[in-house]
Amino acid sequence: MNNDITSTLVTTNEKSRRNFLKGFTTMLGGITVGSLLTGNAISVAMAYVPNSDSILTDGKVFNKSQLMLLKQICSIVIPKTDTLGAAEVDTHGFIDNQLFHCHTKEEQKTVLALLKLVNESAKKQLSMSFMKLTSEQQFQLLNDFDLGQQRFNQTQRDDFKLLKQYICFGYYTSEVGATQELRYDPVPGGFQGSIPYKNLDPSWATRGLFN
Amino acid sequence: MKEQVYINKTSEVYDAIVIGSGISGGWAAKEFCERGHKTLMIERGRVVEHRKDYTGENTPMWKQELRGRVDNILVDQQHHIQKQCYAFGNTTKHFFGNDRDLPYTTKKGTEFSWIRANQLGGKSLLWHRQTYRLGEYDFNANKLDGHGNDWPIRSKDIEKWYSHVEIHAGISGSKENLPNLPDSEFLPPFEMTSPEKAIQAKLAELYPERPLIMGRTAHLTQPSELHVSQGRVKCQARNECHAGCSYGAYFSTQSSTLPAAAKTGNLHIAPNSVVHSLIYDEKTNRVKGVRVIDNDDLSEREYFAKVIFVCASTIGSTQILMNSVSKKFPNGIANSSGVLGHYLMDHNYNSEASGDIDGFEDEYYSGRRPSGIMIPNFYYKQNPKRGFLRGYALGGGAYREGWDSQQHQDGLGAEYKNKLKHAGKWRFRLFAQGEMLPRFENQMRLHPTLKDKWGIPQIEFDVRFSQNEKLMMEDATEQSINMLKAAGLTNVLGNSKHGPPGLAIHELGTARMGRDPKTSILNGFNQSHDIPNLFVTDGASFCSSAVQNPSLTFMALTARAVDFAVKELAAKRI
Repeated sequence: MNNDITSTLVTTNEKSRRNFLKGFTTMLGGITVGSLLTGNAISVAMAYVPNSDSILTDGKVFNKSQLMLLKQICSIVIPKTDTLGAAEVDTHGFIDNQLFHCHTKEEQKTVLALLKLVNESAKKQLSMSFMKLTSEQQFQLLNDFDLGQQRFNQTQRDDFKLLKQYICFGYYTSEVGATQELRYDPVPGGFQGSIPYKNLDPSWATRGLFN
Repeated sequence: MKEQVYINKTSEVYDAIVIGSGISGGWAAKEFCERGHKTLMIERGRVVEHRKDYTGENTPMWKQELRGRVDNILVDQQHHIQKQCYAFGNTTKHFFGNDRDLPYTTKKGTEFSWIRANQLGGKSLLWHRQTYRLGEYDFNANKLDGHGNDWPIRSKDIEKWYSHVEIHAGISGSKENLPNLPDSEFLPPFEMTSPEKAIQAKLAELYPERPLIMGRTAHLTQPSELHVSQGRVKCQARNECHAGCSYGAYFSTQSSTLPAAAKTGNLHIAPNSVVHSLIYDEKTNRVKGVRVIDNDDLSEREYFAKVIFVCASTIGSTQILMNSVSKKFPNGIANSSGVLGHYLMDHNYNSEASGDIDGFEDEYYSGRRPSGIMIPNFYYKQNPKRGFLRGYALGGGAYREGWDSQQHQDGLGAEYKNKLKHAGKWRFRLFAQGEMLPRFENQMRLHPTLKDKWGIPQIEFDVRFSQNEKLMMEDATEQSINMLKAAGLTNVLGNSKHGPPGLAIHELGTARMGRDPKTSILNGFNQSHDIPNLFVTDGASFCSSAVQNPSLTFMALTARAVDFAVKELAAKRI
């Protein structure tokens, strides 16, 4: 600010604000409220962009082969059905980015150790790396992991549940997960306490900003 | 309307200076401006323009780099305290304080989380918007059990001011005629879900003295003409409020009080102005103005006015008073009583319980309700057998499980995916919001040596919950479990925690009101006993915390104090 001027008046856009409010009020007549949001300064967020080739280069936490393994686990936990699955929306690449930026070193190590354990278990049990197993064998091994049965103990089961949590978070907060698999309404227009629910209806993708 | 609102330097002597632009400051500025008084609102942080600066608004998760979360490096360097707040996230982080620049200490063996919102609008942008009046039982509580001092006001003193602020702000809720929780001027309440209605009916039968009502909240469920004329429209039930709301559907300084104040042409705002201290004139026994340090370049400047309203948040206001020392007031201005900084309170949220609701499989809801249900304090009458003093309210609500609550189930593949796609069972939860007794030893003080970057002494907190609060939370858990079981819920679980104060973000007390100048800072009009043209109208002025969310009372006390001050100015008494 300019200290030479005894009364520095910082210009404001009061006039344009007033005009905006005037326009805003007139709009209430016919246009849906949803359109009021267009044109405000919503940040252009630097979203993590799903990358179909995440497994072709090393990530921030995982190397190529770990990413490939994680991708395969994603495709088994949340497979492609009538909607895309976790692997198709690059949940593995997302997890790599998210673990690096938002999780602790301990959590990163847990997932790295878990991937190692998946491969070691495949080798011990079936003398092949996980990626070379048949899809039935892969499913069975992860199922044992998920239930803490066969060669897997409760701690390992808990770790696998943590990985499932990362996969679910990545998938259901992706555009496909939220808007195609589930239901997402950016501007519901109000709250209705009771609407009919039929068994096949998808659930709401979110309850708001924090859950 | 004035074309220039924001100022930096000026030699103008204003009618009123208002320090702070949050809920209290916004109301003070509006009320002064509407009475024709030239008003300067001083804000320590940056300008946040309504709509334009809600940069996180309406951004779905997949459009956020880290899907709502914040990078570890930024959190570690700038937000290691703020991150503890439930509302801290990628779309809201720019409304939270930078902990690197806002250091404070806690006395060894104590903890206090101090959540900051230093920008135009303050915490009015980030608040949870629950709005409840205090009632006669609340104003009488200190007098009855002897903890704290007697509130110098009663319901009759503040009723019309509650109505005044409610009509302008827009409060949704249901008329209940309860003895322990006065009704407000209401817009329609948010709807309950069917399971909530069923639980409400069962509790009415089993616990008639514990009615379950819809939470009261500062949202426009049905805007009035006044609201629409301000550019505010109906709440869209996005429940993304803390990112800012371009619909103006919840009360904030930006949506409600600032447009009203600016419209008069009497408002100036000095942003980026960190108040260092008040300028005191011993000859006249008046505060003449304020000393300000520029938020950015640390240069100094002064502003002057006939009357000064300190609305800088509970801790912020008292910090300013403490740092305003003179020969007459060596221990902080207006502190002849010596109680400044003492009787710090917060609310206690250390109890919760939840359970499953059977049935209602063909029921769902639409929209994201930005509120929940409320069971008002049912311990509003004293009972020595209870083993603790005062009481708590229970908040909560029902929801159907989605992917996030079902993801931990066993399963893989298409079957697992299919299960997570659909709504799961209904759940219902209750959490307690307990009163904290006013205790002399719970206090804030200026650190003897440590200062912040503006040269202002840092705050040291020495505050903890007592055995009374602990026993109360244990009771809340027990009662919640009993009520949920009685209402027919299954898998009912509850627990009490021992989290430290601060995170309720309901800091109260430290410059309390009272009838006796020897034991209080402010009189019944939030006016300093010592200095007639000095007022503190935010949470610092509270004598007790009650159990209610306090913001509505900040509004009413502030509007009432301005009305009083304007009359005193006219009568030349200040």
